[in-house]
Amino acid sequence: MTTLIEARDLSKRYGSHVALDHANFTVEAGRIVGLIGPNGAGKTTALRAILGLSNYTGHLRVLGRDPLHERTLLMQDACFIADVAVLPAWLRVDQAIDFVAGVHPKFRRERAAQLLAKTQVKHSHRMRELSKGMKTQVHLALTMAIDARLFVLDEPTLGLDLLARRTFYDALVNDYMDETRTILITTHQVEEVENLLTDVLFIHQGRIVLDASIDAIAQRYAAVAVTADRLDVARGARPFYERQTLGKRILYFEGADLRVLAEFGEVMTPSVADLFVAKLTEAPV
Amino acid sequence: MNTTFWLIRRELWENRAILTMPAVIGLLLVLVALFGQIQLDAGDLAQIHEAVTGHGSYLAERLFLAISVVFLLIMGVYSSWYLLDCLSAERRDRSVLFWKSLPISDTATVLSKLGTALLVIPLVYFGFAVLTNLLLALILSIRLRVLQGVGLWSAGNWFDFELVWLYIIATLALWFLPVAAWVMLVSAWARRAVLLWTTLPLLAVMLLEHYFVRSDWFMREVWLRIGYGYLVAAFAIDNETVFSPSTTLRHALSPLAFVSEPETLIGIGVGVALLVATVQVRLRRTEL
Repeated sequence: MTTLIEARDLSKRYGSHVALDHANFTVEAGRIVGLIGPNGAGKTTALRAILGLSNYTGHLRVLGRDPLHERTLLMQDACFIADVAVLPAWLRVDQAIDFVAGVHPKFRRERAAQLLAKTQVKHSHRMRELSKGMKTQVHLALTMAIDARLFVLDEPTLGLDLLARRTFYDALVNDYMDETRTILITTHQVEEVENLLTDVLFIHQGRIVLDASIDAIAQRYAAVAVTADRLDVARGARPFYERQTLGKRILYFEGADLRVLAEFGEVMTPSVADLFVAKLTEAPV
Repeated sequence: MNTTFWLIRRELWENRAILTMPAVIGLLLVLVALFGQIQLDAGDLAQIHEAVTGHGSYLAERLFLAISVVFLLIMGVYSSWYLLDCLSAERRDRSVLFWKSLPISDTATVLSKLGTALLVIPLVYFGFAVLTNLLLALILSIRLRVLQGVGLWSAGNWFDFELVWLYIIATLALWFLPVAAWVMLVSAWARRAVLLWTTLPLLAVMLLEHYFVRSDWFMREVWLRIGYGYLVAAFAIDNETVFSPSTTLRHALSPLAFVSEPETLIGIGVGVALLVATVQVRLRRTEL
């Protein structure tokens, strides 16, 4: 497997605020990785560093390059949508296509036109005339028409309505993803990307608290709906998180023996969203 | 090269006023020439007579000079505004996040904006000034019933003026390089109030120098740079020179003296240093 992103001791401070605190992670080729964390956890800071948009301390290589000083070269093989609605208001859709076609050696114009044809957007539209959802579609069409090895998305659906969000992810999965692509996506709306991801990186207070593939999560973590009479025994087996829903107690375990857990109640694989909440509110046991 | 072309086009797309403003000025002048009232006294008639008989170039020169000054002044105001805005607007509307997602270096971006301010905008204004002048000469020739207009302008001084304009564009670009670079640096750096940040630090240095070093060297340098210094450096004029109909600007060009002038060379050096700093700031500063 090829490592596309390698971060060791990645740190960044803004004044006295530590946004990234010795974060370590890697992103392998062909994966769809979710960088997931609450607001202010350092997601965007990490992405800014990866994309060569800000400086940092520590070791960071993206596609084998130093992102800050080799951003121009990096952007031939990587592309990103950092936030919705960053296309300038004055830009016309056809101008955007002309411009990217003019400066990007790996941009396929007919592909962008094809993708746009599926939307309501006209080539004569200016960005200021488009809704947020349509702007995102334009940006996505421009970016998906680039033959890039790494595609980074930072909260790409922030502020979009449900329909636009669904359309966005459908386009991403159906029209873009194949084994040659790697996607790194940040979001705090975990449910939305859950079924998309092959890997997750949980980030909390500038640190990576979980770096695992979805498959590994299924093996390593278990949630058990514990029946009331077994609660004390189950608690003794060192769950790392516990919550109550609809009268049931759900206990979360890491690396526990499934046969033992089965005695406490019904064993489930926790969803990424649940695991996220569990990991981040992890009470000291 | 290709990237430069697209970056310049991008600037023209974003700042349509680069083209529309001089077009409107030209149009207004043409309208005035077409419908304005013309009042002639005896002196004017004599000049026209002289022009028609082929000796004097006064009227044509005065006409083009007036038009050129109008265009140059508005250009100066517009270019300053453009420079103040050029690297902060993209951060304000966050479109910098789009531009930076493309394989375009910060150096190329900064240079394209500098080139737009110092070369593209002046050349566009030059084009419109020439066009306006042609139209005006034609209209006025007809309105004054000076047959065929030959007396109003001759090919000789016509080309003289174009030469002067091109000389002004080249020398202005070199002379104002440090000013433009300083404004761009602030534009790339300041979170808001770019205009204040371009002026206040300079004023602060002037005051500090005045009160602590008891000299005004920096103030003089700044005034020279943005004031009459350009005219002194680029043209062979001094206090003795009297502008009269017989001295044409053409004869006052002093390119060799200009490029060997220490003021010019130091200015270029400072300008380049400030540009390097601007690129470094844009490299690191993406957000407001």
